[in-house]
Amino acid sequence: MASTRDAEDHQLVARVVSTNDTDAFGELIRRHQSQVRNFLRRLTADVALADDLAQDSFMHAWSKLQTYSGRGSFIGWLMKVAYTTFLQSKRRSKRYGEILAEAGHVADLESRSYTLPTEDVSDLDKLLAVLTEEERAVMVMSYACGMSHREISDATNQPVGTIKSVIHRGKEKIRNDFGIKDYQHG
Amino acid sequence: MASKIINMADRLRDDVDERLVALFRAEPIADNGFSERITRRIRRRLWLRRLAIPLAAAIGGAIALNPLASMVTLLIRFVRSLPFDVVATTPGWIPSLPLIGLGGTLLVAVLLGLRMIDE
Repeated sequence: MASTRDAEDHQLVARVVSTNDTDAFGELIRRHQSQVRNFLRRLTADVALADDLAQDSFMHAWSKLQTYSGRGSFIGWLMKVAYTTFLQSKRRSKRYGEILAEAGHVADLESRSYTLPTEDVSDLDKLLAVLTEEERAVMVMSYACGMSHREISDATNQPVGTIKSVIHRGKEKIRNDFGIKDYQHG
Repeated sequence: MASKIINMADRLRDDVDERLVALFRAEPIADNGFSERITRRIRRRLWLRRLAIPLAAAIGGAIALNPLASMVTLLIRFVRSLPFDVVATTPGWIPSLPLIGLGGTLLVAVLLGLRMIDE
């Protein structure tokens, strides 16, 4: 049997599912934590919240690992778990806001909740702020995580055609808002 | 093969795509104990789950002990009250209450041990 560090993702997954091997799962986390945390940071624009969500995502991944069929990449499946965790957290906080509002408190019920960081606003932050939540998630998966349209489609439960049109729409927005044709990176 | 073809189609990107990729590119985030924190949490959860069943059995056993003992005493009294010719053997074969308790405890211990070995 390959050692934990040399084993491929699907071998580690098999070990986790068959023997609850926490070391194997630890190795999977080590390999993919950066991508998952980056993805959630881009979605939430909040480092602490993103890291909390990443922890929750990996906990969900642990308990649902037997549902990973092995079809498609493990990181694609993991992104799906992370995105679902993000959406669930958003729904919870929205519901919490509604309860506060019902109780007479002023609550932030904004749905497009991407808040620009107060310091060091980067070009990317400005760019993400013009996108809807769905566009943001799809664009980050595509451009930051390098996922294929098929993988994004699996992760978001949307047809590949819809993913393509979301990306197209996002690009158009970015083109229009930032004149990216003239954009000089760096 | 099919996924490779799809990936190739995805890779056919224009100039804007390349700029977006560059813009979205992020520095890798250092682990700094992140994975260790999660695996520790999972191990704790596993241990809790392992403890939960024996603990529930112990608590349930403690709660059920008194009514169970009353039932056994009642049963023994009932059997002893029967005429000897109805019960084939002598009432001496009926174990005493402490013996029943000891047997039950041993049985539970063996079952828990087997479960631990299995896990």
